Amino acid sequence: MAKEYKIALAGEGGQGVQSVAGIIVEAANDNGREALYIPNFGVEQRGGVSIAFVQIADEKIGSPKFKKADIVIALSDRSVRRTAQYVDERTTFVYDSAIEGVEEDLPKNAAKVYAIPAIDVAKNELHPRVFNIIIMGAVIEATKVITLESAKQAIEKKLGYKFEQDPKLRELNFQALEKGAELVRQFNK
Amino acid sequence: MADKPIKGEKRFFVTGNEVVAWAALAADVDIMYGYPITPQNEIMHYWTRLAPKYGRKFLQTEDEISAGFTTCGGVFSGARAFTATAGPGNTLMQEPMSMAEMMRIPAVFVITQRGGPSTATVIYSQQEVTLTCFGGNGEGMRIVYSPGSHQDLYDYTIKAFNTAWKYRFPTFVLGDGYQAKMRESVIMYDPEERGVQMEPTEKIVGKEGMPGVDREPAHLRNTYNTEEELNVVVNELVDAFWKAAPEIVEHQEFNCEDADIVIVAHGVVTRAAQAAVKELRDQGKKVGHFRPITLRPYPIEAMKKAIAQAKEIILVESAEGQLDKLVKAELYGSKVPITPYFRPGMGITSEEIVEFINKKG
Repeated sequence: MAKEYKIALAGEGGQGVQSVAGIIVEAANDNGREALYIPNFGVEQRGGVSIAFVQIADEKIGSPKFKKADIVIALSDRSVRRTAQYVDERTTFVYDSAIEGVEEDLPKNAAKVYAIPAIDVAKNELHPRVFNIIIMGAVIEATKVITLESAKQAIEKKLGYKFEQDPKLRELNFQALEKGAELVRQFNK
Repeated sequence: MADKPIKGEKRFFVTGNEVVAWAALAADVDIMYGYPITPQNEIMHYWTRLAPKYGRKFLQTEDEISAGFTTCGGVFSGARAFTATAGPGNTLMQEPMSMAEMMRIPAVFVITQRGGPSTATVIYSQQEVTLTCFGGNGEGMRIVYSPGSHQDLYDYTIKAFNTAWKYRFPTFVLGDGYQAKMRESVIMYDPEERGVQMEPTEKIVGKEGMPGVDREPAHLRNTYNTEEELNVVVNELVDAFWKAAPEIVEHQEFNCEDADIVIVAHGVVTRAAQAAVKELRDQGKKVGHFRPITLRPYPIEAMKKAIAQAKEIILVESAEGQLDKLVKAELYGSKVPITPYFRPGMGITSEEIVEFINKKG
């Protein structure tokens, strides 16, 4: 856990990469770790690839952005192409297996490349709304920057008011988190 | 009046823009004037959310020229007042900033640098150094702090109000888009609990009593009839500025004592420079880092000491030589060669600095 982790999360607007990044860094901060999160932002109101740059460490963090990530998560075809620049021989590259036409664009220099069926699982097993929570579970399993337990607390903090109205939502979100972790755990066996 | 916004010390995890809004609240600021521009928008956003809870005010103006002048007007009325802008907004605001220099108006300006020239990017740069230090048709009689972290943003936003009101020069917090938009931890506190008293403000226009009878008349001018008259006034400004300068300058040093190479960098780039020094020291290289915290006035005496034994300065900035120009003007006559590492409008990482220095051999 002492290691410093650099994470690049990329997706289309609406896939929730920024909110996932926000919850992870909140949880890390609540656990007394140092975290730094900066979104990419530009003049566009919509469209374009949304990237979240996240760093988690035990000491104060240096530059807000970084050149190479320990883990890259790409959730769309454009994101796969866009994030190749953050990959080197130490990077774990995770992308969604439902993305088509990117076989040639997958980074060849990555340490590991995982294809996870998060989009399918969200659509067919859980609910499209918890897609980003599945991704969050995957990120946490791949990096161990926080425990699933503290992730649950962070989700509770963020969405607790919705859970009060509909306790089933809590269950759905926690299931999604566990499921996301499971999707990556298969590779780590 | 509502309670103090911050009691005791508390760790927050927020964006830099939110830090600035909280710091202004903690500094007992009465009013913010502003016009939206990325990446400073959320300073206004948070201020307008927080201010009413604590009896503070906000006025949105029609543009940046107006935001700057209304800030000056607020200060004239005795309010602790500030505004925030960036990029093209900083350009437009130069006229009121210049008036603040001329009339010794203790207004505070928070700048979140974005890419330039013109509209360019809304993201990040260090390209507003020259504009912030020397913009306007004046002599750069301004105090400019360059923060490098959320803690700096909090500490120096509070300090800016005290510096402005103590020395009566316009004071700037020169941040950038990265610091504005990123989230990291910061300890917020009530300045008073740390023994920091806020400098009292006073009315500059509309003082109590009959002018000429109860008190000296306030003679506020920014227009002069003769060259001689103006020259006297500007000389007084310049003298007052340089007299105050030794009390204002601030810097930080990292391993400069025995350094062959001194990295000079400011603002958010100091983070990369500090990390690079650590890495290069681990590799057995004698590298240090000098960080000016005030860009104006520049901490030149401290810098001269820090580079006394150095064989080379590496000047690292996200601009095409704006800090470099400042340093060269101050260091005139020094024989230490300066090697540039300029990345206009782009972030700089410690890995890049390490690689650059190692490649040079």
